[in-house]
Amino acid sequence: MEVLKAISISKNFGGVSAVDQFAMVQPENEITGIIGPNGAGKTTVFNLITGVYPLDAGEIWFYGKNITGLPSHRITDLGITRTFQNIRLFRNLNVLDNLRVAYGIKVRYTMWEEMIRWPRVKREEGETEELARSYLAYFGLEKYGDMFPYNLPYGLQRRLELARALMANPKLLLLDEPAAGLNPKEIHQLIETLLKMKEEKNLSIIMVEHHMELVMNICKMLYVLNFGKKIAEGEPKDIQQNEAVLQAYLGDEG
Amino acid sequence: MEFYIKVLEITCLHTILVLGAYLMTGLTGLFSLGQGGFVSIGAYTASIAYLHFNVPFPMAILMAVLMGSAVGFVIGIPTLRLHRDYFLLVTFGFGEMVRAALLHLAQLTGGALGIAGIPKVVDLPMILVSILFITFLIYNLKRSRFGRNCIAIRDDELAASLMGINVYSHKMKVFILSSAITSYGGALYAFLIMFIEPNLFNWLESAKLIIITFVGGVNSITGAIIASVVYYSFGEFFRFVDVWRDVLLALAVLFVTIFRPGGIFGSWELSPKNLLRWRVKKD
Amino acid sequence: MELNILLQQIINGISLGGVYALEAVGFGIIFNILKFSNFSHSGVVAITAYFGFFISRYIYTHFLVTLIITTLAGGLIGVIIEKLIFRPIRLKGAPLTLFLVNSITAAMLVQQFFAATLGDDYYPYPVFMKQTSINIGNLTISKTYTLMLIISGLVLLLLTYVLKRTKVGIALRAASTDIRTPSLMGVNIDFVISVAFFIAGVLGGITGYLLGMTYSVDPFIGSMILKGIIAAIIGGMGSLGGGVIAGLLLGGAECLLIAEIGSSLTQIVIYSGIFVLLLIRPEGIAGKRYIIKA
Repeated sequence: MEVLKAISISKNFGGVSAVDQFAMVQPENEITGIIGPNGAGKTTVFNLITGVYPLDAGEIWFYGKNITGLPSHRITDLGITRTFQNIRLFRNLNVLDNLRVAYGIKVRYTMWEEMIRWPRVKREEGETEELARSYLAYFGLEKYGDMFPYNLPYGLQRRLELARALMANPKLLLLDEPAAGLNPKEIHQLIETLLKMKEEKNLSIIMVEHHMELVMNICKMLYVLNFGKKIAEGEPKDIQQNEAVLQAYLGDEG
Repeated sequence: MEFYIKVLEITCLHTILVLGAYLMTGLTGLFSLGQGGFVSIGAYTASIAYLHFNVPFPMAILMAVLMGSAVGFVIGIPTLRLHRDYFLLVTFGFGEMVRAALLHLAQLTGGALGIAGIPKVVDLPMILVSILFITFLIYNLKRSRFGRNCIAIRDDELAASLMGINVYSHKMKVFILSSAITSYGGALYAFLIMFIEPNLFNWLESAKLIIITFVGGVNSITGAIIASVVYYSFGEFFRFVDVWRDVLLALAVLFVTIFRPGGIFGSWELSPKNLLRWRVKKD
Repeated sequence: MELNILLQQIINGISLGGVYALEAVGFGIIFNILKFSNFSHSGVVAITAYFGFFISRYIYTHFLVTLIITTLAGGLIGVIIEKLIFRPIRLKGAPLTLFLVNSITAAMLVQQFFAATLGDDYYPYPVFMKQTSINIGNLTISKTYTLMLIISGLVLLLLTYVLKRTKVGIALRAASTDIRTPSLMGVNIDFVISVAFFIAGVLGGITGYLLGMTYSVDPFIGSMILKGIIAAIIGGMGSLGGGVIAGLLLGGAECLLIAEIGSSLTQIVIYSGIFVLLLIRPEGIAGKRYIIKA
C-alpha cells in the first residue's frame, strides 16, 4: 500500500531551485530517510508535502488521494503530522494544552456548545485530557503537565513535540531532524519509541536526519538530496557505498 | 449614591468593550484599531431603529448585534489574511471610514450633530448581567478548544495550521464574535449616555482597549476585567483630571511591558480551580 | 472639473503628498529595520511641532533657523524615545507585539500629555514672511505648501544619498534584511538602531514643523501622520521608494477628491480603495511577500 507518492515535485525561490523534480514513494508501516548536505532542500520537501509552500510543479498523492495544493490544515486532517527542525511548541500554552491542541481536529463538539459549556464539551475535554496524560506518561513527562514548554530542558521539548505529533493518531509522521541536539542515550530512547509507535499504530515515518547512525539503523529506504535534486535512492547499505553520495558529502577528493 | 451607580455603569459598559477587544487582541493576537467602528455601528443601528422606525428596544439591540456581526464578516474577508501590521492599519482605516460614513449620511444619522434624545433604557443590572454572560461565554471558549486554538494562532500561525487548525476560518469566527460583542456594547452605550455622535469612539479609544488588555495580561480574562474596571472607574472618579489618567495609563503600560511583560496577572484566572489551590496553599 | 481648479488641486496634492511621503519614510525606516509599526513617530511629530512653535515665537523668529533647530531636536527625541521605550524591551527579547503596544502607548502618552498641559490654547506659528502665496496666472500657489514640497524633496534626496553612499546608510540597509548582519561586520547594532531612530526623528521633526506651520499646533497634530502610515502600507512596507510614491499619489488623490465630492465622502472612497487594493495585492504596491521558514 502506497502511503505517500511524490511525483516530480519542484519548488523555486526567486530563481533558485530548492527542490528539483523530486520523486519518492512511501510504503506503509516503513521508515524512510531523506538525507543530504545542509541546504539540499530536505526541509523544503516536508514543507511541500504538508502544504506550507505551494508546489511549482509535480503532484503529491496520499493513500490514493491527490493532495496537491491542499491547505496545511486539510493535510493534517487527512493524517499527516510533523515535527520541526527548530522546535515550534506553543509557548503560551502549557505542556498539556500543547497536546490538546493537536487533538482538536478529532473533537466533535461545536463552538456553540463550547460557549455554554454543554455537557458533551466537558466529557470530550475529559477524553482529550486522558489521552494527553497517557502520552505524557509514555514519554516520561507526567510531572511537567502544567509547565510551559520553553521551561523544559531541550531533550524533553523534543519529546513533547513528538508526542504532540502523535496525539491525533496520524497515518504518516514526518520528522525533521528529530535527533538534533540529543545525546546518545536520548537517541537510543528515540529509536525505541519510534519503532514501538510504528508497530503499535501501524504508522509510516519519513525522517530528515543528519545523524548517520540513526538513519542507517532505523531506515528501510533512503533518499539522498543534493542541491534540490535526488542523487541516489536505495537501502542504507547501498547508499553507504554510493559514489555520488560520498562526493556530495565529502566533496571531490580529486 | 447616584454618582457611584453612574460610575459603575460607565465602567462596566466599557468593560464589555474591553472583553470584545480581549477576545480579538489578547487571546488571538489580532491587533485592531477599528473596534470604535463597531461601537458606533452598534450605537447608531440601535438608536436609529428605535427612534426612527419605532422598533422595540430588545429588537433594536438585536439588530445592532446582527449589523455589527455582518459588517465584521464583510470587513474580515479581505483583512484577515493580511500581515499583522497591515491588519492594524486597515482596521484603523475601517474605523475612520465608519466615522466618515456617519458624517456623510446626515439624513439618517444627524451628521456631525449626532443623535440626541435617546431614552435611558439601560441600567446597571442590565449591564452587569451582560458582563457576566459575556464573561461566561468567553471563559468557556478560552478553556476549551476554541481558546486554545486562539492562543496557538497567536503564538505560531504556521504550527497552528499544521495542527489541523483552519487559521483563516478561526480568525473569522473570532472577528465576528468580537464585533458582535462590541456592537452590543455600543448599542447599550447609546441607551446609557443618551447622546451619540460620529466621534463617539475614535481610534485612540480603540487603542486603549488593546492597551488595557495588555496591562491585565493577555492570557487572563480576570486581568482584562480588573484593569478595565480600575482604569475606567478611576477616570470617572477623577473626571477633572481626565486627560492625566491617560498619561498615567500610558506610564503604567510601559512599566508593565518593561518589567512584567506577561501583564499584571500573567496567565492567572479567577477560576474555581485557582481559588481552591490558593486556599489549599494557605492552609 | 475646470482646468484651473484641476491644476490647482494637483499642485496642492503634490505638496500635501510630499508631506505624506516624508511621514511614510519616517515610519518605514523603523519598520524595515525593527519590523514593527512605530506609532511613537506621531509623538515625535507632536513634540517637535510644539517645540518649533515655542522656539520661533519666543526665541528667534526665522524660518530656516527654527527649522534646523526643530529638525535636530526631532532626531534627538527619536533617539530618546528609542532608549526609554524600545531598548528596555529589545534587550529582554520581547516579541514584536510588545513593541507595537509600546509605540501606541508612547503616542498616546505624548498626545494626552499635551492635551493635559497645553490643550486649551491655540498655537499658530508666527508668520514668517509677508506674502503667503504666489500667483501665477489663475493659480494660487501657497508658499507654505511649496516650501513643504521643496523641503520634503530635499530631505528625501539627502536620505537617499545617506542610505546609498555612506557607511551608516549601508549598515542600515543591511540591518533591514537581517538585524544581525551589522554586528557580524563589526558595526555596533545599538548604534545602527539609534541612527535609524535619529533619522526617523529628523524626518518627524521636519514633518512636525511643516504641519505646525500649515495647520497650527494642537495635541492631535501627531495623528495627522496616520495618513502617512497609510501611504506606507499602500506603498508596501518593505519599500521606502514605494512609500514615497504612495504618499504623493495619496496626497494628489485626496486633494482632487475633496474638491469634487467633499471631505467625508473622500475618506470613504480612499479607505475603500485601500481595502480593495489590499484584497487584490496584500503586499501593497512595492512590498515583498514574506516567505515563512518552517
